[in-house]
Amino acid sequence: MAYRVLCGLFGAALLAVGLLFFLQFFAYQEPGSEPAIPTGPVGHYFVAFTGCALVGWAGGLLGAARHPGAGRTVGTVTAFALVLSAVYRMVVWLIGDYHVFLGSLPRVEAALFLLLALAFVWLRPPHPGKEAA
Amino acid sequence: MLRWLATAAIVALLALDLFLPSTSLGRRGTEAAARADIDGAVGAIGETLPDIALPDLEGDLVRLSDLRGHRVLLIFERSVDW
Repeated sequence: MAYRVLCGLFGAALLAVGLLFFLQFFAYQEPGSEPAIPTGPVGHYFVAFTGCALVGWAGGLLGAARHPGAGRTVGTVTAFALVLSAVYRMVVWLIGDYHVFLGSLPRVEAALFLLLALAFVWLRPPHPGKEAA
Repeated sequence: MLRWLATAAIVALLALDLFLPSTSLGRRGTEAAARADIDGAVGAIGETLPDIALPDLEGDLVRLSDLRGHRVLLIFERSVDW
């Protein structure tokens, strides 16, 4: 049950952020618009791509929330992606350019992502074969 | 077994993240402070700058003293804007 809630909530959050990123690309094309994400045309190209990837990731998580037994792998890859996200945020915190803009936020996010990764590792349902054994 | 390995790796990263500011590597995180204006580091407004030397677009070194008598405007910027 906890795994379903975790997948459902995290999937819904990723879906919201993904759609926001995707729509932000189109908002940026409006002449004279003030970008909500402080980056230029190339940055928005990648923001839109990130949004599409997040929507796809969210789909996998929402599917795992509905059928947790069939969505075990989603938990594994989500934990892995969260660890990768934490690692680069820790590096970001070391780099002055980002530090000026974000302060200690990347480190806080990294800690949060690592705790979430732990939750995905431990709440993931057991393999159906092992459960039967 | 794999679950415990993953846990150990994640906990190790979490510890690194929490203790990052107190490590020698982490102290670079205060680079923003290092970049901030430091009174007296290069002289105050109205004072003469030290005789710095910087490469021009052709790579030739130009000393500040070479430009004595001319108005000099120094601009520091990142050339990439994405």
